[in-house]
Amino acid sequence: MLEARLEQANLLKKVVDAIKDLVQDCNFDCNDSGIALQAMDNSHVALVSMMLKSDAFSPYRCDRNIALGINLGSLTKVLRAAQSDDTLTLKAEDAPDVVNLVFETSDSDRVSEYDIKLMDIDQEHLGIPETDYAATIAMPAAEFQRICRDLSALSESVSIECTKEGVKFSCQGDIGSGSVQLRSHSAVDKPEESIEIDLTEPVSLTFSLKYLVNFCKASGLSSQVKLCLSSEVPLLVEYGLQNNSYLRFYLAPKIGDEE
Amino acid sequence: MARTRSKPKAKATKESTPEPPTSNAKPLLPSTSNPPKLFVLPKDTSKDARIVTLDNPASGVPSRYYFCPDKGVHEFTRIAAPKKACRSWLITPEKSSGSNEEEEEGHDGTGIGSGYVTKAADLFVATPIDLMFLLLPVLAPKNAKETKQHFLALDDHLDNLSSSSRHWKVLLAQHPTLKAMIGKRMGTVCDTVDAGDETMYRLSHGKLLAMLLKKAERMCKNGLPQSMEEKFVKTALEVPVMNIKREESTLSVVSDTPSMPTEDSQVSVSTPSTSVESQLSTTTSMDSQTSTETAATSVSSTEEIVSKPALQTPPEVPHLLRLRTAFTYLLCSYVPQTLRPSLQELLKSSTTPSFTLLDMHLSAIAKLRAEAMALRSISDNISRKRVLEEDEEKMAEREEKKRKKEEDEKKKKTESRGIKQLKKADTSGMKKLSAFFAKAPKKG
Repeated sequence: MLEARLEQANLLKKVVDAIKDLVQDCNFDCNDSGIALQAMDNSHVALVSMMLKSDAFSPYRCDRNIALGINLGSLTKVLRAAQSDDTLTLKAEDAPDVVNLVFETSDSDRVSEYDIKLMDIDQEHLGIPETDYAATIAMPAAEFQRICRDLSALSESVSIECTKEGVKFSCQGDIGSGSVQLRSHSAVDKPEESIEIDLTEPVSLTFSLKYLVNFCKASGLSSQVKLCLSSEVPLLVEYGLQNNSYLRFYLAPKIGDEE
Repeated sequence: MARTRSKPKAKATKESTPEPPTSNAKPLLPSTSNPPKLFVLPKDTSKDARIVTLDNPASGVPSRYYFCPDKGVHEFTRIAAPKKACRSWLITPEKSSGSNEEEEEGHDGTGIGSGYVTKAADLFVATPIDLMFLLLPVLAPKNAKETKQHFLALDDHLDNLSSSSRHWKVLLAQHPTLKAMIGKRMGTVCDTVDAGDETMYRLSHGKLLAMLLKKAERMCKNGLPQSMEEKFVKTALEVPVMNIKREESTLSVVSDTPSMPTEDSQVSVSTPSTSVESQLSTTTSMDSQTSTETAATSVSSTEEIVSKPALQTPPEVPHLLRLRTAFTYLLCSYVPQTLRPSLQELLKSSTTPSFTLLDMHLSAIAKLRAEAMALRSISDNISRKRVLEEDEEKMAEREEKKRKKEEDEKKKKTESRGIKQLKKADTSGMKKLSAFFAKAPKKG
């Protein structure tokens, strides 16, 4: 039996919105520590990993490990029926055929209830080790989204170069080239606008912009985004959520052919 | 309910009244390596009853049996919930003497403490097993080649038994009554000669067969279990339905074919004095479904020939088949492998009951099926759309394919815009993520 109540339906709405354009169907693995999700896109070069800790819910109850195989399109349709500040309750049996979602307005005057049929999804799980990255950049999510959007107008791929001067996003396309350079600075009064660069050694890697633009759909979830890079290792784009929950994206770097 | 995590958020606790607080949460004990198992054991057994390990007569694998000197030997059957249905047993010690109607709660709660939740919902039920079956391995020849069997005294047989398993030795030593029990059961399946004041025993296949048949007879007296009946009796006796529609004169060749082989089969079947009839023109109630089906497909004025159950099942055939199914089941689950072929042979030649009628009927059905199959391939060529009734397997296969295709198409349609966009992304030079991260072991 699973029962998980979210104060704000908005959180799940945004999470699902952010990943539904990357994966179609995926398993929500529920256990007593929370709800986790791991899925790769069709071409297996990007991976999304979500963890909603049990603390993000109140109350949270999960007696047995349950995998809820859900079509994200269907989930989006149902979540559209919820207002942002509705409370959302997820319920499922131990060996479920459906997952049940209940939306309640904050004054509890309106209660709507939906069931989504589950599917059996055979997914391979990747074990992702803790990695010490050569460079970690924390920056405003909106800034990262803007850079990706602007550069994607010029080119398919962006090179991210991190040195002690700062971080430089640059691209070369048919119509010309462009680059954005950021230096670390801390805004005391507005911590969400500060840029922090933690560098152990300089790195330079190239990534597909289409994928990065796709990841940026999660920008609404968090004011800051963390980019972690090491050479020859997938880029980690992390949106931190409350209560140690997170939404992480991994993207394989482009190696060879360019430059 | 006890495992709910209620977060200490003032607002939340106010609203979530149904959840009891869990302030008294105790750390859970680690699970034991030898969890308690649940048994349903016979009532009123003597206190000397025990669980012993004896060789399974059919497979020779050591298996657990429940032995009671008064009530005989019981075998265990494990009853488990289906894998998908997650079930557990909550075992608690009996609180009052009045609440012991639930047998699965265990006969005594000692050692269970305040309760125990087993992970698997297995239940072991002890059911009586004829002691004779357990004796068969020693009575049977050790290998197929050894055909000559000697008469042996009961004590010699018992020696063989105790040398085959340690537990037999202990049981025989502890319970003198067991010897008499064994002797009595042995007498039912053995030829005996009296040598002096001793009786010598030798396994008699005829007696064993009669005994097994008696047991099989009893097994099907109240009907076989449903799954067995379904699989071995109902499907085996299904007569293929011949249903050919004559559309135009060009097809007449095809529609003629079924009537001819039906006559054939009639000849082969009607030899015994039974009510096997072939029906060439009659339409029985059974084909109402088929005729409506064809009516639905044929809009124009087409003439149709419905040649129906080409074979009628004689009334005694289902019983014979049930009997044989039960017999085969007994043979496979309780009789040593070395004995099986000779018993099968013996059964074939036995006259009471005689299975010739059944064999004939089954071969007639097989023949009809082959014909229906051949016919279908012709009719399939003529019109792919019309699938014959008995074609269920193929139909299911085709449906499955169709469904898959539709599903794929549907999936493509429901793909979100973002996913379609990503398909256009240039992934050259990008390795798959599985090249960076190792596959995690699959979680059950």
